[in-house]
Amino acid sequence: MFEKFGQPSRNAVQYGVEEASRRGDRRIGTEHLLLGLLHDQDTATVIGVGVAEARTKADALDAKALDAIGIPFGDFRPAVAPRKLTRTPLTSGARSVIQRTVALTTAERSRRIMPRHLLLALLEREQPDPAAALLVECGVNAEEVRRKLIAPAR
Amino acid sequence: MTGMTTDGLLAQIGSTDPATGLRAVGALHRLAEQVEATYVALARRQGWSWEQIGDALGVSRQSAHAKHGR
Repeated sequence: MFEKFGQPSRNAVQYGVEEASRRGDRRIGTEHLLLGLLHDQDTATVIGVGVAEARTKADALDAKALDAIGIPFGDFRPAVAPRKLTRTPLTSGARSVIQRTVALTTAERSRRIMPRHLLLALLEREQPDPAAALLVECGVNAEEVRRKLIAPAR
Repeated sequence: MTGMTTDGLLAQIGSTDPATGLRAVGALHRLAEQVEATYVALARRQGWSWEQIGDALGVSRQSAHAKHGR
């Protein structure tokens, strides 16, 4: 599935896998792909959010959701990250994003899949998709970022 | 639960937004994994065997070791 990925996008996916295991998730979701992309400095600049801030926002979404159902989030801080995942299945949302990334790259007649293709696919997601929710929580205007990504490409 | 009306369900739960409730489930899973990793590491440091850890977690010695062993 990842043959056409250029090195920077491969790295983003690999960082996404790490983000999933550090959060304690068992599948790679769209939000992990987004967090993985934010390790790329150019991408972080385009979105206007760094990976550390985005992680904090993802935790904030969790805390808010727990609070809303009546489970107040305490102050537990993990001292040890969950083990690295040995198998890393994608959620169906993440699989759609990868397929859409390939389609967008083909439509642009680019030979290699670059981080911006992956980001464009992620920006198309709509809530309740976790990446879309995380972008909103980070105060990112998806349409604005998309325009920035498309304009200089020609 | 059988026969409970939708209104009865809505009256009993804290949030009526499924996105929030399902997010909370994910958050609980994540929290459980983080607490588990932290306290299995502590137990190992204090000399617990994988069998004792497995028993405490309700899983086999083998799965506790496969998941957390180095």
